Amino acid sequence: MTHNAMRFSRVVRDVKARQGVLKNEVSRRAYLYVARNTTLPPQVRHQAQLQLNTFGKYTRPSTVKNRCSETGRGRGIMSEFALCRYQFRLKALHGELNGVRKACW
Amino acid sequence: MDALRVVPSKLKGLTRLRCEIFQTAYNPKNLRTGAKYLRARLRGPSMMEYYPKTITLSQVARELPQLGIVDEDEMQRLQDVEDRKRRGKGAPKKAKRKEDSKRMSKKR
Repeated sequence: MTHNAMRFSRVVRDVKARQGVLKNEVSRRAYLYVARNTTLPPQVRHQAQLQLNTFGKYTRPSTVKNRCSETGRGRGIMSEFALCRYQFRLKALHGELNGVRKACW
Repeated sequence: MDALRVVPSKLKGLTRLRCEIFQTAYNPKNLRTGAKYLRARLRGPSMMEYYPKTITLSQVARELPQLGIVDEDEMQRLQDVEDRKRRGKGAPKKAKRKEDSKRMSKKR
């Protein structure tokens, strides 16, 4: 599976992070549960935390960043449309976004 | 007024009963049990749907070789690379050791 935006390296990195999150999410959650559970013995919790630390950088959900699917831009993103503000404007004015039209009052 | 006053022990019992009925964890001391990490939905599947999927010609050619599709742009690119190589304009050889790299020698 490829995306049109994959020609931007930052988007490639982001897709890599998304795949990593998807792959490791269940086991990470299990370790998180043990590590954050105050009713368990501290030694067990510490072991779980050490295991959490062995996961790679691109398995953490916080490394995922919504980027523009047209330009790869990382700021000013309208997540609903996966577009940056300028691409959103261009597409909206071309009538390519359903239900979006220019404000007028 | 006395009739309206609730006994704490009875209130506790009520909470426990409520937890039993609705199958929630009884946690009167509000300890951190980490349950929220198990309760939260998995975010990976929806994360994968963010970028819209596109189908490219090269993808189709790779999936269905029996169709005999030729990606002309890719062919042209490979041809250009070959031509450039023939004219001695190809990519330089990878340095085997650190001293071989041009970047290192340039800096001095």
